Amino acid sequence: MREKWTSKLGIIMAVAGSAIGLGNFLRFPSQAAQNGGGAFMIPYFVSLFVLGIPLMWIEWAIGRYGGLFGHGTAPLIFNRLWRHRAAKYFGAIGVFGPLAIFIYYVYIESWLLGYCLYSVTGALGSLATKEEMLGFLRRYQGIGRGNLFVWSYLFFLLTFFLNFAVVYRGVRGGIEKLCNVALPLLCIFAVVIAARVLTLGTPDPAHPDWNIRNGLGFLWNPDFSALRSAKVWLAAAGQIFFTLSVGIGVIITYASYLSKGDDIVLSGLTASSLNEFAEVILGGTIVIPLAFAFFGGAGAQEVARSGSFNIGFVTMPLIFSKMAWGAAFAVLWFLLLFLAGITSSVSLLEPTVAFLSDELSISRKKAVAAIACVSFALCQFPIFLISRGVMDDIDFWAGSFFLVLFGTVECVIFVWIFGIEKAWDEMHHGAELRIPRFYKPVIRYVTPTFLILILGFWFFQQAIPTFRMDGVPRENVPYIWATRVGLLIIFIGIAALVRKAYRKKFGRER
Amino acid sequence: MTAGGWVFMALSWGIILGLVAFCVRRAMKEPYKDL
Repeated sequence: MREKWTSKLGIIMAVAGSAIGLGNFLRFPSQAAQNGGGAFMIPYFVSLFVLGIPLMWIEWAIGRYGGLFGHGTAPLIFNRLWRHRAAKYFGAIGVFGPLAIFIYYVYIESWLLGYCLYSVTGALGSLATKEEMLGFLRRYQGIGRGNLFVWSYLFFLLTFFLNFAVVYRGVRGGIEKLCNVALPLLCIFAVVIAARVLTLGTPDPAHPDWNIRNGLGFLWNPDFSALRSAKVWLAAAGQIFFTLSVGIGVIITYASYLSKGDDIVLSGLTASSLNEFAEVILGGTIVIPLAFAFFGGAGAQEVARSGSFNIGFVTMPLIFSKMAWGAAFAVLWFLLLFLAGITSSVSLLEPTVAFLSDELSISRKKAVAAIACVSFALCQFPIFLISRGVMDDIDFWAGSFFLVLFGTVECVIFVWIFGIEKAWDEMHHGAELRIPRFYKPVIRYVTPTFLILILGFWFFQQAIPTFRMDGVPRENVPYIWATRVGLLIIFIGIAALVRKAYRKKFGRER
Repeated sequence: MTAGGWVFMALSWGIILGLVAFCVRRAMKEPYKDL
């Protein structure tokens, strides 16, 4: 008997918890600031309504449909939707992707816990420059001199254990309970920090222009010329795609624990809205206005370009070290990111657990133990080879490229192969809200076209240069190749298990 | 912050808060039932 969510609120919180991650607070503000400010919100909302929300509904519908047959993951659900021998292997991406993301995401998540402790002890507050903060981060990662790596590894072990302890307790007793507590808490922490930011005024009287009002202007003043650039539209579409956790396979698994008569339209929309609240209203109020108030326009521009890691682990602790009660706000900041991280990382484990227990009839506890052993071994590669670019390469393939590929495949299979009429009916079973009719052609033509365009752009603009290793230092090349071979071996292993599961359920392969 | 900045910020916040309020209102209208 498969588990079910305790309440509809439970699955909404779990899906929102999966979607609300580090990107809401670190990636969104830097993307908006670099791509037209307020004008970025035009392609952002267009992408939300024609790409993000429809894809959210598609994943919820696919998951609930599969759950009726006892499938909790994409491989055998895709096989139900598309009677073709290749379907289940496309679905294997939905098991491979989350596991591959987990093996580096959990390590980054553990840094947040470590930085939380360093904020309490005052170790972070004593660092006064960007170079010192960057040096601290590198020592924490085990790069360069210093023995902070021991602590880094201990926090990794603790975070790893916490993740598996939650998943071990099941969907209702573990994931749902965690999200019901973590999500409101992280929102409270973010509101407290945002309120402090908005009341900060001009922190340095020597620079009267460096204030929060101008900082908000830096983020929100529209630059309409940016809208003429295809890059800005693709950046917005990419941001929506990543922020909603679509294309991973997690929502499919979560929705598989629903019953046929349960609403998915209103629930999917509510989870998306909560994610947008955390991203635009909370995430948009903290990082960039603060960076502007402390470093001015040029500094904020540099911060926006420096990437999510630098914002989270260099810029923000540096700003807090300059603020009154900075240590307390730093603790809140890293705790809120940790809660956002853990609600996402436990969701990354669930598809693999569901696959082993649903399709190979392994008990949940044994499945969790097996995945803990395998993923613990795999985690060592990004941890010990971080300076060789291993983590970045896994992030690109598993955390970016395969996400878009999987999103495109699931959309095409559900809408074009399973058929829009059946898909539309499937979405509306038990719906507490009718999807407006104009969404039918949007879901049929616009969403898949949008996805294919993003995939094509990514393939030519990023996948080919990344595959060729443009800009990778020569000494790192063997490590990157080894990473790719490793990822391929994991995928082949999962595909072999998918084949075994198929034969177990349906006999010989067609 | 320019007037354009305020408008874009207010519109973005408005759309999102409106969406959240709409979802909560609909959920209250048809209360969440236990599964």
